[in-house]
Amino acid sequence: MSNSIPEIRDLDFMLVIGSNTTEAHPIIGMEMKIARQRGARLIVADPRKIWLTEYADLHLQLKPGTDVWLINAMAKVIIDEDLVDKDFIKTHTEGWPELKANLAKFNLPEAEQATGLPAEVIRAAAIEYATTRKAAIYYTLGITEHAHGSDNIFSLANLVMMTGHLGVRHGGLNSLRGQNNVQGATDAGATPLYYTGFQSAEDPAVRAKFEKAWATDLPATIGLNLNAIMEGVKEGNVKALYVMGEDILISEPNTNHLEKGVKELEFLIHQDIFMNETTKYASVVFPAACFAEKDGVFTNTDRRVQRVRKAVNPPGNARPDCQILADFARASGYAMPDYKDAGEIYAEIASLAPRFAGISHERLDRTPMGIQWPCTSPEHEGTAYMHKDGPVKGKGTFVVTNFRPSVEMPNREYPFSLATGRVLYHYNSGTQTRRDSGTMDKVGECQIEVHEEDAAGLGLKDGDMVKIVSRRGGIKARVWISGRVQKGCVWMPLHFVDAAINKLTIDAGDPLAGTAEYKVCAVNLLPVKPGAERAERSELVESRPVLGA
Amino acid sequence: MADTFTITVDGKPVEAHAGEMVLRAAQRAGVHIPTLCDDKRLEPAGACRACLVEIDGQRRLQPSCAWKVAPNQNIKTQETSKRVQRHQDVLVSLYMADHKLDDEGLPVETCNGNGLREWAQECQTLSLDPVEAPRAARPGDKNPYITFQPELCVLCARCTRYCDEVEAVNAITLTGRGSETTIGTAGMRGLLDTSCELCGGCIDTCPTGALVEQKAIEILPHQIERKVRTTCNYCGVGCQMDLNVAKVDGIEQVVRVTSPPPGETVNDGNLCIKGRFAYDFIHHKDRITEPMIRKPDGKLHGVSWDEALKFAAEGMKKVQQRHGPKALGFISSARCTGEENYLMSKVARAAFKTGNVHSCAAT
Ligand code: SF4
Ligand code: SF4
Ligand code: FES
Repeated sequence: MSNSIPEIRDLDFMLVIGSNTTEAHPIIGMEMKIARQRGARLIVADPRKIWLTEYADLHLQLKPGTDVWLINAMAKVIIDEDLVDKDFIKTHTEGWPELKANLAKFNLPEAEQATGLPAEVIRAAAIEYATTRKAAIYYTLGITEHAHGSDNIFSLANLVMMTGHLGVRHGGLNSLRGQNNVQGATDAGATPLYYTGFQSAEDPAVRAKFEKAWATDLPATIGLNLNAIMEGVKEGNVKALYVMGEDILISEPNTNHLEKGVKELEFLIHQDIFMNETTKYASVVFPAACFAEKDGVFTNTDRRVQRVRKAVNPPGNARPDCQILADFARASGYAMPDYKDAGEIYAEIASLAPRFAGISHERLDRTPMGIQWPCTSPEHEGTAYMHKDGPVKGKGTFVVTNFRPSVEMPNREYPFSLATGRVLYHYNSGTQTRRDSGTMDKVGECQIEVHEEDAAGLGLKDGDMVKIVSRRGGIKARVWISGRVQKGCVWMPLHFVDAAINKLTIDAGDPLAGTAEYKVCAVNLLPVKPGAERAERSELVESRPVLGA
Repeated sequence: MADTFTITVDGKPVEAHAGEMVLRAAQRAGVHIPTLCDDKRLEPAGACRACLVEIDGQRRLQPSCAWKVAPNQNIKTQETSKRVQRHQDVLVSLYMADHKLDDEGLPVETCNGNGLREWAQECQTLSLDPVEAPRAARPGDKNPYITFQPELCVLCARCTRYCDEVEAVNAITLTGRGSETTIGTAGMRGLLDTSCELCGGCIDTCPTGALVEQKAIEILPHQIERKVRTTCNYCGVGCQMDLNVAKVDGIEQVVRVTSPPPGETVNDGNLCIKGRFAYDFIHHKDRITEPMIRKPDGKLHGVSWDEALKFAAEGMKKVQQRHGPKALGFISSARCTGEENYLMSKVARAAFKTGNVHSCAAT
């Protein structure tokens, strides 16, 4: 996030695009609701009638995968109405003439065609955003997990910069990070592109600095991103994996194909708190401590570094991941220092990354609100909102974006467009929350949301079992006529092993970010004959909770 | 009017900010005033009358939680005003007449504490005849987390106001009339059949323990050995939470999760269902407890750490020698800490000379 969570409640305008905030980031959703109750305007752009739309002033229910059309058409309206922030563009950006020229083709009548939204509505939303000072945009997986995810984000960034909603409190472009420490994992350098603190892995000076600090020579080229590693596993070029804290066979797309690759691996180390699908093929299993059993930091979505503290001992012989990794490195012949605790590891990170130089465990222990990076010295108070003195990288570049349809469009054989996502009561692959009795009572089995007319066309009723097939695999789920999806679209949650949804999805990655296209793929629905499948539902699930009713 | 000025509380100067309530200024200065219906996150209700103070120029006692500060205001609390103390003695006794008492005649302790009990201990309570008007519960409510104990409710409406003003789902409301008023849902349905998102904010805000978490209902506050402030391990909001540790069968366990006081952390004292309730996994029997290696029989066998580490290191080294560093992949996790991710990148790059390191779910 360029801005901060505590700013939300004082906003006057929020555009939430492709973010099921109340379910995926409940407390941010709560802040949005507080803002709404205080009179802020809320516009939600989402193909599905998500929960938050009930609090919204306006729901832009666009066709899936047409975000670029919507955003660029809004940008064109802002130009046509002469609402751009000329000063900001002049002082802080580059590439404006090219962008302006390209936007000319995103006219409202065609946008209406493409997105299915009335031209007047797009126009009104654009004008309101451009003319409200305290206006912020929020987005998440809904728009990044597309093969054209980067285009979506560039388009939004264009919109934010051309209206000067950047570098101010109560504004900005805010990506809501999914998992607890997505931000922190990248910050720390668990990415092929960067060493810790976003220092380019291709920069020889950076490499030299780390070679000195780590007292060894380091690879001269950047490595593979996650998508490419998984591709390598499938194709047999990657022959050994060390997997920490993830179930790659559930959370990665197109798992059927991946599973074959994983089976063929020569060596697989799996380090986790529970056994899961990946463990089945592990050569070694390291039992890890969970968050309540170890020390360290998580960095949340508004760049806030906060402490994780040990409350209890790990079970049996399980150990904190830090200790396992350090011991493993030593067993492999690398002289990993003998860290006395996680604080000492953090001190090493801070000494190597200027962005975190002012942060330490001691300081965090004195700061209940956490510290938002950049924080460059012990005196630096942290950064509530970024780009205060103009974009961090000097000039913000307008990037020309064009509409590209999703890689896989529905056709006659696979007539439905499937999207996937989270529900409030479960968390990613569900190994934690699915073990919790209460959360299982709320949403006890995998459901697929289907439009009323589509269901009628297939002779399906609410609660029927259905087989969902894509070009890559098939799974079963129960039909839910939720009234939340558009005609021609279906939606399923990510969380269930027994309906491993990533068997269906496509692994066409965004060329820039290496993010898989979880969001849109084409499927068909085949009714399962009555009797072939017995309903197994607990008494509580029987009265299905209507999420968001 | 100046933004900041001075008021007098019990004869001492106290700094006050224009527009705030007397109670806030007093609390900031460390002055204790009993409250039941006050919660920083909610609009002042002035409903419970516990916080009444004497204000110069006002004939009646006034609720400090709902009375704005003004320059040179002179306030007296129970410390310096007999009238306020007498009011409190009577009021707390009235509340107790309609409350479950323990053997010593004090409001009962609950796993969530009991603010009425604390307040009663500060007062000279009178013995009044108990009110015979039981409040209705929701007999059919099978929700797994939140229990309502109507005999402990003081009708301060914090829970219902929280449900409306903060969580904004309006699942619970005050229902019934007069002595039958209670905390209900539409049609007295169970919470699972309402718009309730099971955030548990009502438990957190309830001052008397009328609303409590079902799971560890028998563990009272004094049995909690410590509360450890940490960061939620679910989503990217990064809510702060307190892990409450108590001994269960002689072993220290996390028995409940509570939220930090409002105003202190990024989540302002709020949590969602996952942060507040989904902690069973910590002590789940399926946790992996031993290192294991796959032996020639194709099965995983428990071994010592030394053996597992050696086996793992040799296995990785062998692949590295045979196929080069580019044939290795190190998948780190957005679920793990910053330090762990840093070490994973160091292991990949420094120990195995490969840049093939990425965290799963890189969004
Ligand atoms: S249940 Fe608790 S919070 Fe709700 S009205 Fe009763 S005492 Fe107040
Ligand atoms: S309590 Fe809920 S909203 Fe807060 S970090 Fe945890 S999962 Fe996210
Ligand atoms: S706390 Fe002031 S009236 Fe209840």
